[in-house]
Order: sequence, then C-alpha cells, then structure tokens
Amino acid sequence: MALSGMRGLSVFISDVRNCQNKEQERLRVDKELGNVRTRFKNEKGLSPYEKKKYVWKMLYIYMLGYDVDFGHMEAVSLISAPKYPEKQVGYIVTACLLNENHDFLRLAINTVRNDIIGRNETFQCLALTLVGNIGGREFAESLAADVQKLLISSSCRPLVRKKAALCLLRLYRKNPDVVNVDGWADRMAQLLDERDLGVLTSSMSLLVALVSNNHEAYWSCLPKCVKTLERLARNQDIPQEYTYYGIPSPWLQVKTMRALQYFPTVEDPNTRRSLFEVLQRILMGTDVVKNVNKNNASHAVLFEALALVMHLDAEKEMMSQCVALLGKFIAVREPNIRYLGLENMTRMLMVTDVQDIIKRHQAQIITSLKDPDISIRRRALDLLYGMCDVSNAKDIVEELLQYLSSADFAMREELSLKAAILAEKFAPDLSWYVDVILQLIDKAGDFVSDDIWFRVVQFVTNNEDLQSYAAAKAREYLTKPAIHETMVKVSAYILGEYGHLLARRPGYSPKELFTIIHEKHPTVSTSTIPILLSSYAKILMHTQPPEPELQNQIWTIFNKYESCIDVEIQQRSAEYFALSRKGASLMDILAEMPKFPERQSALIRKAEDAEVDTAEQSAIKLRAQQQMSTALVVTDQRPPNGMPAQPSIGPLSLVKVPSETVDSNPGDQGLTHPNGVVYKEDPQPPSQDIIGDLLGTLSIEGPPGAVAQSPQNATYEAEGAPSAADAAALVPVGEESGSVQPIGNINERFYALCLKDSGVLYEDPNIQIGIKAEWRAHQGRLVLFLGNKNTASLGSVQALILPPTHLKMELSLVPETIPPRAQVQCPLEVMNLRPSRDVAVLDFSYKFGPTMVNVKLRLPAVLNKFLQPITVSPEEFFPQWRSLSGPPLKLQEVVRGVRPLPLPEMANLFNTYRLTVCPGLDPNPNNLVASTTFYSETTRAMLCLVRIETDPADRTQLRMTVASGDPTLTFELKEFIKEQLVSIPTAPQRPQGPAAPPPPVAQITAPPPAASQDPGALLAGLL
Amino acid sequence: MIKAVMVMNTQGKPRLTKFYEFLPVEKQQGIIRTVFGVLCSRAENVSNFMEADSIFGPDSRLVYKHYATLYFVFVFDSSENELAMLDLIQVFVETLDKCFRNVCELDIVFNYSKLHTILDEIIFGGQVLETSSAEVMKVVEEISRQESASNSIGLVTKTVSGWRNR
Repeated sequence: MALSGMRGLSVFISDVRNCQNKEQERLRVDKELGNVRTRFKNEKGLSPYEKKKYVWKMLYIYMLGYDVDFGHMEAVSLISAPKYPEKQVGYIVTACLLNENHDFLRLAINTVRNDIIGRNETFQCLALTLVGNIGGREFAESLAADVQKLLISSSCRPLVRKKAALCLLRLYRKNPDVVNVDGWADRMAQLLDERDLGVLTSSMSLLVALVSNNHEAYWSCLPKCVKTLERLARNQDIPQEYTYYGIPSPWLQVKTMRALQYFPTVEDPNTRRSLFEVLQRILMGTDVVKNVNKNNASHAVLFEALALVMHLDAEKEMMSQCVALLGKFIAVREPNIRYLGLENMTRMLMVTDVQDIIKRHQAQIITSLKDPDISIRRRALDLLYGMCDVSNAKDIVEELLQYLSSADFAMREELSLKAAILAEKFAPDLSWYVDVILQLIDKAGDFVSDDIWFRVVQFVTNNEDLQSYAAAKAREYLTKPAIHETMVKVSAYILGEYGHLLARRPGYSPKELFTIIHEKHPTVSTSTIPILLSSYAKILMHTQPPEPELQNQIWTIFNKYESCIDVEIQQRSAEYFALSRKGASLMDILAEMPKFPERQSALIRKAEDAEVDTAEQSAIKLRAQQQMSTALVVTDQRPPNGMPAQPSIGPLSLVKVPSETVDSNPGDQGLTHPNGVVYKEDPQPPSQDIIGDLLGTLSIEGPPGAVAQSPQNATYEAEGAPSAADAAALVPVGEESGSVQPIGNINERFYALCLKDSGVLYEDPNIQIGIKAEWRAHQGRLVLFLGNKNTASLGSVQALILPPTHLKMELSLVPETIPPRAQVQCPLEVMNLRPSRDVAVLDFSYKFGPTMVNVKLRLPAVLNKFLQPITVSPEEFFPQWRSLSGPPLKLQEVVRGVRPLPLPEMANLFNTYRLTVCPGLDPNPNNLVASTTFYSETTRAMLCLVRIETDPADRTQLRMTVASGDPTLTFELKEFIKEQLVSIPTAPQRPQGPAAPPPPVAQITAPPPAASQDPGALLAGLL
Repeated sequence: MIKAVMVMNTQGKPRLTKFYEFLPVEKQQGIIRTVFGVLCSRAENVSNFMEADSIFGPDSRLVYKHYATLYFVFVFDSSENELAMLDLIQVFVETLDKCFRNVCELDIVFNYSKLHTILDEIIFGGQVLETSSAEVMKVVEEISRQESASNSIGLVTKTVSGWRNR
C-alpha cells in the first residue's frame, strides 16, 4: 500500500526518535513548530502539498503531548482543497485537533455540507467521518437531515450508508432534541432487513441508541433483531469475510443482543421461543478452544447471551444452566474468561433464586482471590462481597482476613472496609465480630478507618456479655510486641473501661493493666495520648482501695502532661489530676460509659448513601433486608439506658464519639443514669464547671469551645457542633419533610405491571412494594412484597383491598409492623367472576415515626390478565365468526382519534395484551385479526375474536369488530381494546438503558471517582 | 461507546492516540502516562482487562493487547462488550499486518498518517464501523489509489523545487 510518503515528515519523525532525552525532544519540536509557524505566516508560498505535510507534523507533535495552538485555520482550510489527499488530511487533522465548539468549525460547515450532498463518495465518507467524530450542535442542526437521507438512499454504496448510520447515531446521542427521529421505527425495521453486514452492524448500533431512549416506538424492530440473531447464530448465513475465526460476525451478534436488552420483555410467544432457541444454542455450543482469538470471539457472544438471558428473566432451569456455565468459566485457564466469569456471576446475584447455586462455587471464587492477575482478584472480591450472607459470612470474612496480609497494597483498604462491613452485617455472634475487627486492625491497621474501631467500641459498650471477652482480647493484643497505633487506641479504651471486670484473673490487676498499656506509651502519637490518659484515670478509679504506688505513677504522668503543648492533652491531664484527688466522687464521675443510643452503622449508612440508584436495590441490600443477622438486630434494638428507644436520637454521631458520655434523651435531664454517670449531683457551681469540662475533654475530637458549656447544654452539645449531615441522617425522613414522596411514577409503574407479571408497584423512602403474579385461567395469585427500607420498624401497617364487584380477592394477614430492613410477603388470591374493566385498589398505610403515610394504588389485576393467547386456524375461525352474528354478541365500532401506529406495531401491541394476532386470516393486508380466550367464573373459557380494519390513508381511525359468546364480554373487551388504542398507556420510559427498576436488570453501579480521604467517598468508590 | 484508542510502545511513547470525546492535551498525556504505568506493571499471561474507573471516570472499561513492542489499548463504556472490543483490537492489528506485511513498530512510527486512515475505517465516532479486515483493506486500497492518482497529476504541474521538497 502506498499512502503518499512525505520525506519531510519522515525526517522529522526520525529526528524526534533520535533525541536522547525529553529536553532534546522538546528543542527539536520547538524548532519544528517555529518552522511551521513561519511557513504558515507567508501562506502565499505554500503549495497544498506543503500545507498537508505541515499539518501532519502538527498532528504528530500534538500526539507527542505538545499543545499546538496555531495552524488550526490551515488544517480547516485544507478541507476545502479540491484534491483528495489534501482534503483527507484536512478532515483527519481537524477531527483530532478541534473540539465541537471551536469557532473555525463553523467556517467549514458549508464545505462539509457540500461534500455530504455531493456526488463524490469518497468526499462523502470524509465529511461523514468528521461530523461523526466531532458532531457538535451546529453540525446536527444543519446536517442531520442530509445524513438521514444518505442512510436510506438506495443509490448510495454500503460504504457511505454505514457511515451515515453511525454519523446519525453520534448526532442523535449528543443532541437528541435536534435530530428528528419521529417515525423512524419503520425505517429502522427496514434497515434491519439489510443484507450488507457492514450496514447492518451500523444500523444495529443506531437501533441500540434509539431503543435505549424509547423502546415503545421500536417494538416492530424486536422480531427483526431475533431474525438477525437467528440468521447469524443458527443459519450462519453470512459472507465469508464477516466470519471472524469461524464465528459469524461476533460484533453484530453482540450488538443485536444488546438491542434486545433494551426491550423490557419479549411478549410474543413465537418470537420468544425462537429467541430462546438461539440463546440455548449459544449457551450450549460454546467451548473453550486453543486459539485465543476464537475463544475471545465465541465468548463475547456467549457472555452477551448470558446477559440477555438474565434480562429476560428466563425459567429457573435456564438460569441454573447459566450459573453452571459461569462456574465452569471461573475455573478455566484463559484469564479473560475467568475475569468475565466472575464479573457476570456478580451480576447474576441480582437474579432471584440462584444465590444458592452460586454459593456452590464459593471455594473456586476464594481461590480466584489469589489469582496472579489483580483485575481478577478485584472481581473475586466484588463477588465474595456480593454473595456474602449469614450462612457463609464466617467463611468469607475469614478468607478475606487471611488474604489481607498477602494482598496488594492497592487493595488493602478496600478489603478491610468490605471485611468490616460484612462482619457487621452478617455476624453470627458478636464475639466473632469483635475478633474480626481486632484481627483487621492487627493485620492492616493503616487501612482501617476510625469508623471501624468506633463501631466496635460501640458494640462492646452496648453488650454487657461482650465486655469481659473484649477486655481479655484487648489485653492479649496489647502484649504483642509491635502493634498498630489503632490497636493501642482500641485496646487501651476497652481495658480502661472494662479491664476491672477481669480483675480477679491473674495478670489483670490494675497495676498490671496499667503497665501493659503504658508500655505502648512511648510509641504513640499525640492523637492517642488523650485516650491513654482516660484509661489511666479509669484504672485509677477502679483501684479500690487505692494503691499508692500506682496512684503516684499515674499522677506523675498527669503532672508531666499538664504542661503539654497539645491543649487537649494538657486539659485532660490537668482535669484528671484534679478529679482523682477528690477521692470517692471520682467513682461517680468516671463511671462506666452509658450505652450508646441505637444508631445505624456509619459504615453501612455511608455505603447506602453512596448507592447512586435508589430505585434499584442491589442484591446485597435486598438480601440484607431479608436475612439480617439476628445477633446485631437484637443489639441494635435494645433501648439505651432501659429507656424506650426514641426515633430521633439527637445530634450525636458515632463518627466522632467513641467516648461520648452524653445521652440525648431529653427525659433524662437531671436524672442519675442507671449505669452511673452523674450529670448534676454536685450542687456546687465550680464543680459543675469541672464536670462540664470533663464532658468536653472526653470527646476526642470535640473542639475546645464545647468545654465551657453548662451541663444542661452539655447534654446536648458536648460533642461540639456535629456536622449537619450527621444530624440529618438520624432524623427520620418523614419528620423532616412532613410528607413522604413516592419514588418513581405510580401510574407508569401500574401500566408497566399491566403488561408484566413482576415488578415494583410503589416505592417511597421508607417502603418498597413489589408484586409478583401468576395467572391461571380465571384465577390469579399475587404476592405483595412489602420491604422496609429503614433501620427502624414501620408501624400501623394496614393493607385493605377495595375489590371491584367482578373480582373476589383475598389478602392474607398483613403484619402490623414490618421490622427494620425486613421484607414481608403477603399473598393475595384473585378470582375473576365476570368480565369487567374495573380495577381493584389497594389502600395501604403505615406509620413511620410520627408520620402517617397513606396511598391508594391500583392493582394490576386487569382484564388482559385473564386472557390466554390462542391461535386459531381459518377452519376454526370463520365458522365461529359467522355464527356470532350481530349485536349483542358481535359489536362493531368505528374508532377515531387512534394514536397512529404502523400495522406491525399494532400487532405487537395486541400480542402484548395476549390477543394473538393471526396473520393471513384476513386477505386484506391492512386488516388485523386476533383471537384469545377469556376466563371468568361465569363465562368459563370463552373464545373472543377481534378484527381491526385500518385505513392506510388515515391511521388515526379504524373499524373494530369484537365477537364472543357473551354480550358483556364482547362489550368490555371492545372498550378495553379501544382504551389501549386511543391512549396507549406509556410504560415507564427508561431514560438510560436497563437501569429502571422492574425487572431487576443486572447492572453494576458505576462507582464515582474516589474524591478524597473521606471514608464516605471511599465507600462510594467501592460499592 | 469507545472513548479512546491508544497505541503506545513498551517505553510508554505514544504511537497513535485518538480520543472520541474531546480532552485537552495535558489530560490526554496524563491518561497515557497513567495507563502505561499500570500496563507495564502487568505480567504476561494475565487477563486483558484493567480497572479504568480511576483513570477515565465512572463507567469506563479498558482492554489492551500486547504485541511485541506495542500496547494497543481501547477504552469504552459499559454499552460495549469487553471481549468484542478485544476482538476489534485484533481486527485492527490484522489489518495493519496486511497493509504493511508483518507490521512492526517502525511501520507504525513512520506511517502514523495511514494508521489514522485505517482506524477511521474501523471505528467511527466511537462506534464500531467495520469488523471485516478484508472490507477495510478494500477501502484503504481505494484511498491509496485515489491518492496516487492525484499525486501523479500533481507531479506534472508541480515545480521541480516543490518536488524536491518531498
């Protein structure tokens, strides 16, 4: 191949290559830039060839990473050059150097347009490529229509049309409002019949973009996609040059299956069957072979097929087949397939009912944690995190801990966080939880954020059974030689607080504990010393009768720090010193910490806040709701200080205060807490100050300003100013806003459920109501899934069914409270007595905190649910049709104001409502004939026949004839169909791909970039 | 959508870069450096995937292939299939191989303008345009015919000095 060689360019490139270092390179580049600049200045002397050469040089310099801030005009001007080589350079370089808003582009727009509408195909291609690569708004405005014309023009070569398709796609993606695609459904359907694979591939990409925006309009393309897939995967009907290592265009197969994933479901039974046949063939017919490229290609198709199967919510059998395949993949030698196997298994977790099958592969997944490839290790970690629940938490967390010591530094932080969250969420018992966190700190102290150790302190404080165990553990760790400072903090705190519980054991005398803690003193930083001082004070307090020797030792320390430069340390030591001289009152003042008020884990809370998509609950969250570890739930719910739990627990935040002694319960003012903290026993003002100070100093990170407050205020504000976010997070949502707003559009959810049998009926910040329905003849069984999204219970739950007269409905008992994060299932039996279009309503209410929420929701037990599709042959149809002659069994009506639909789309619509369209029955191609069976108790199974006659000249009107053996049925069915045709309910539009809630499509939430050291942001990045 | 195509050698020198979403040049260079830093630390016989979220922002995936002294890197979002992208790298390289008969890094260094032409026939505005290397070859040959045709005409009209400048 001989693209024109340019010696000047080659010489320049050689020179750059010969440069010994970056500095030389820069000098050479600057020299060249200077040269080019001068040449451009006296432009008159430049031949197009020279211009071309310089512009290429500019692009090369740009690629090397130097900013080229001149010569853009020259590049753009080459676009108008008459000859191909110059024009080509102009187009290519302009596309690389300029962005869509660059002013110079405006100058070129006319030339570009002329090239697009001109007759020269190579020029058309160049122009399309520029527009497709830059694709700004102005381009879209002035060129979209021309590009559309090229795409559907029959006189254009495929070469041009495939570029036009992608060009249009780019313009549409960037400026959907400018590019008019109304009525493109028909054209797209036609384009999908294209024989040229290049054009077909591009058209399929275009379809993906269009469908992802509005699948409703493109139903007619769905069967075509399935046909394309059949053509490729089953018939292998494709030209040789489009097979890639023996696989018929894997890209087109993949794109086609992508397109199919944007349709919520495939309703038409025939299409569905064909599709599943192809999918089955792909799933079963793919083997791991020697050739890497062939492997990649066949598995590209296979993984896409898996995604589609998951999306279509196939039968359990097929799903288990998929899991079995994935299980095979995660153990193969080929690393790419291991990687994708793990990734897809993680997505699979969101499919119901397969978790148990996935768990069978746990051992293999754990092995992948030791894979030589960090990408694979990360996927394995994600999967383990996602599949963890109470049943396997012990194994998984222990594996993670073991892995921690050998893991790459890049992964340790993520690992520790995940281990901590899992340990907390699914702990089978609390002593295990304590073990895990202490091990975590021991092995990866640098990567354990404060939140993690604050939380363990909170658990120990709130659980008396745990205290002596934790103290023993803490002592054990403290005697180890080199331990992490976080370990010193947490151990010193726990020993100070609970060491006395073990005083009778050998090695736990106050003196010994003090010695053990104090040994670490020289190694710690100033942030730890306040905690040590508190521990010493506590040990001193617990030493009864006082041991003068120990007392002197500790006093010496206090004395020493009284002049410390760190104000926190100074204050603590001064106050502790003064207090410890007060004798017995020290006992009261320094008594054990009261229990922490119930609060959600800061870790989990942040993890949840980080979840971008509130509508779609992750698998982890869903299952956490279903099977929250009982141990932790019980602890969480135990009311603090024996007082009833308050929904609002004041502005305390775990994030900052492990040693917080305040209790925000307003009713406690002036009372002695059962476990010993006295706020105002001492009537003397000076002493009150001391206590106030004490409260201040105890807060590790509290600003000194809080110190001087009076005790009354201190009960609320000793923590200083907690951040607004912390406070807000603790206030129930209902209280704040006064009313609870539903998430998502209730109407859209209802209409979507009219067409599907499972999905979300209602959702608000507190509750999610899902529905799963099965219909058999005139009976139906719906299950309502009431999921409490909060960590507090929902009370006064009431669900009343207001059934229309034609439905008999029985709702099983709905519990009055839904426990935190639990999901309650309430079966609802439905029986259809007679045909009617009336709709049942669910009157649902609950109470969250003080807020009463009441909603009335339509239930998707609608007429079409009692239809069963049936195909009739002409021999069956015509006698029936004739025998039902005239009203009231056969009704005819001319319907006007119909939303104009192309016939295939209307046929699809009928099929989705379970009215089987029977093609070929009516000789007139503008007519549609459909049949179905209706079931109710009075009518039993009854055949219904429908005929629609459309007017090709005016799609807004049609004549409809409905016939059945029951007059009411005929009337109701006719009205029902009319409603659908006149105002076709819009099922929820999916703004961006398969992210909308029902059905649970596998999608991994893309983590936002980790912004800072903030653990919240970190978690956001991890989850 | 494909966000970027990068070809760099095992020393981290960029040989071809194309970003389908505009990025300022410093940002491009930063990305190339970061990507290279991770790539060169990866062993042989590991997967062809790399975490890209931290480099390109959320919803980014990266696949690469290592051929002799060159890395070929594609960055794209979740609307593309990872393995299909890997296959596309292979198509790109196979096409180069056909063009240059046993392509090596030097071919790519000195013919980077041709690389742009070939790439534009495979990826268009971040979308897969053509997947058959035979088809791409046909187009590229057509283009070179056009070029040499207009060049030969150009030779007649050009001055001798202009010709020498080549």
